[in-house]
Amino acid sequence: MNLTYIDWLIMLVYFIFVLGIGFALKRYMRTSNDFFLAGRSIPAWVCGLAFISANLGAQEVIGMGASGAKYGIITSHFYWIGAIPAMVFVGIFMMPFYYGSKARSVPEYLRMRFDEKTRAVNAFSFAIMTVFSSGISMYAMALLIQALGLFHGIIPDQYIFHVSVILSAVIVLGYIFLGGLTSAIYNEVLQFFLIVAGFAPLVWIGLKNVGGWDGIKHTLPTTMTRSWQGMAHASTNSLGVEWVGLAMGLGFVLSFGYWCTDFLVIQRAMAADSEVSARRVPLIAAIPKMFFPFLVILPGLIAVSVTSHMPGAGAAVVSHANPGSAVPLDEAHPHGIIPQKMDALSGKPVLDTNGNPVYNYDLAIPVMLLHFFPTGILGLGLTALLASFMSGMAGNVTAFNTVWTYDIYQAYINKKGSDQHYLWMGRMATIGGVILSVAAAYAATSFNNIMDALQLIFSLVNAPLFATFLLGMFWKRTTGHGAFTGLLAGTGAALVHHGLTLPADAQPGIHGAWIHLVHTYPSDMAQNFWTAIFAFTVNLLVTMAVSMVTAPRPESELVGLVYSLTPKPVETHLEWYEKPSTLAFAVLGMLVVLNLVFA
Amino acid sequence: MGLDIRVPLGLIFLITGGIMSLYGIFTRGNVALYEKSMGVNLNLGWGLVMFIFGMIMFIVGRRQKWQDDPVTPRPWERGKGH
Repeated sequence: MNLTYIDWLIMLVYFIFVLGIGFALKRYMRTSNDFFLAGRSIPAWVCGLAFISANLGAQEVIGMGASGAKYGIITSHFYWIGAIPAMVFVGIFMMPFYYGSKARSVPEYLRMRFDEKTRAVNAFSFAIMTVFSSGISMYAMALLIQALGLFHGIIPDQYIFHVSVILSAVIVLGYIFLGGLTSAIYNEVLQFFLIVAGFAPLVWIGLKNVGGWDGIKHTLPTTMTRSWQGMAHASTNSLGVEWVGLAMGLGFVLSFGYWCTDFLVIQRAMAADSEVSARRVPLIAAIPKMFFPFLVILPGLIAVSVTSHMPGAGAAVVSHANPGSAVPLDEAHPHGIIPQKMDALSGKPVLDTNGNPVYNYDLAIPVMLLHFFPTGILGLGLTALLASFMSGMAGNVTAFNTVWTYDIYQAYINKKGSDQHYLWMGRMATIGGVILSVAAAYAATSFNNIMDALQLIFSLVNAPLFATFLLGMFWKRTTGHGAFTGLLAGTGAALVHHGLTLPADAQPGIHGAWIHLVHTYPSDMAQNFWTAIFAFTVNLLVTMAVSMVTAPRPESELVGLVYSLTPKPVETHLEWYEKPSTLAFAVLGMLVVLNLVFA
Repeated sequence: MGLDIRVPLGLIFLITGGIMSLYGIFTRGNVALYEKSMGVNLNLGWGLVMFIFGMIMFIVGRRQKWQDDPVTPRPWERGKGH
């Protein structure tokens, strides 16, 4: 890669600002409340942008670009079906309990609503998850820097990975240690605008190159340019999922389970300056979220449509995939500028079992940057990419230090510390969290399968979670014992379902069927969605059954925690257009329009 | 918090946009450089857009009084005293 001083200068400016914000905010960190909750004083729009930015980590940008290149615009379901409805729901219905209950974290809400043991399950699984997620993010970033040869010729090649990991760890640690959640939120806003500024011109110039959206439609098979086509049956779309699995599994269980219960994002809304603001946060976030497919998925589509530098361009235009097989599009559409996967050890292209080359879709967006951006704006594009990696990492670290300090340290280790002590603990937890993330990143380098296994375990733990919150918030009869057993039963059900089923063309083992093969799904995505549906249903039923036979808490203790016992938020002082529900309808309306346009 | 996010946000866009537009001006005639971006001088064009965005953010951020500073009580501290 040919970077000039101007590219380095632009990246340097970014890093100076990132740390500068931490230093500027240091003097405002007087109490633990300032450090963990940003003093509950941040305006809604700032929290809203941080809300999506924290989620827009490495896996998101790289993964969605890769998925766009591989599957097409259908990937946008992960945004449109898989995020927006849940974001509207959490803003309108759930935020009053999170914010209004004065809970400082999601596990703490579970303790107030249910009991200590339910909180413990959530706090520990969440803390472990965040550390590994940020470790994976760090690992992905270092790999990418290595693959792009960013430091090539500046430092010896064998140190590039280590330098990237340490550098990103030190920077994230620096700004969170100094400015806590406020610093993380401010940086996420910065990162949001940089990501937009870096990717928007990329999409523009890319579209210009391939002849606009019409050009893409002309080059690629229709299954890649239509989001709803073939959703009636699993075998006629590239995801290998039918619409029931998509709507229930992704649209309901998984997406609500993430956006409505994951403290990583909820923490951003909890930092808002009032309850009305907190409710607006996810709604404001939903608007840019809706249009993100155009920034992160579209480059993937453009990357496979670009034909100018392809040997035998034009010949690769394939009319349609062979009907009948589930996930055929992979090899059946043009690969544009997507590079082949290289074996890191031998330096030769990787071939699949049939001797065909394997394409490295993860490089879709980075390759686009290198292909279209001249030096100067290339620095900006790389800054945007690095910014997205950092925001994902920082989101995990701030969520970790809060849950560790409030829900593990204060709950089980030292109950009677002073506020200053907990502030100190938060800073130490930040250091600890970053060190653990680095360890996780190195674990990923030596055991690739361990990361797959961990991702799997997270999905099994997360899948049933939403049922617990749904019942807890909207059914006052739900008891602590019910929630606890339901949660464990739901995770158990997910585990058993995974042990009995297998995606097509996978071997029994880590991918499933380690108990006995009962059912085969057309794709791993379908398996994943249905695992979530089963886990959710079992949790729902078990929680209800156990709640019926155990003693409920007195209603007076549940005011502010349960829907039917909490006074509705007062909105009379707001004009109609200021009300969260108006915003919610506007968001849902836009969502319908987008789906119709790309149906 | 006592720092309006629009001030640093405005500044980083002013500086980055400024660097890019200046570089764009100096490399105006360089056909080889902009061959990648199909002859469009992205540095100058997009750099100016970013510069203007940064300026708006910076000015708005400086004008608006940020609601909270270290001396006045925070939302949860208010109400206690009066």
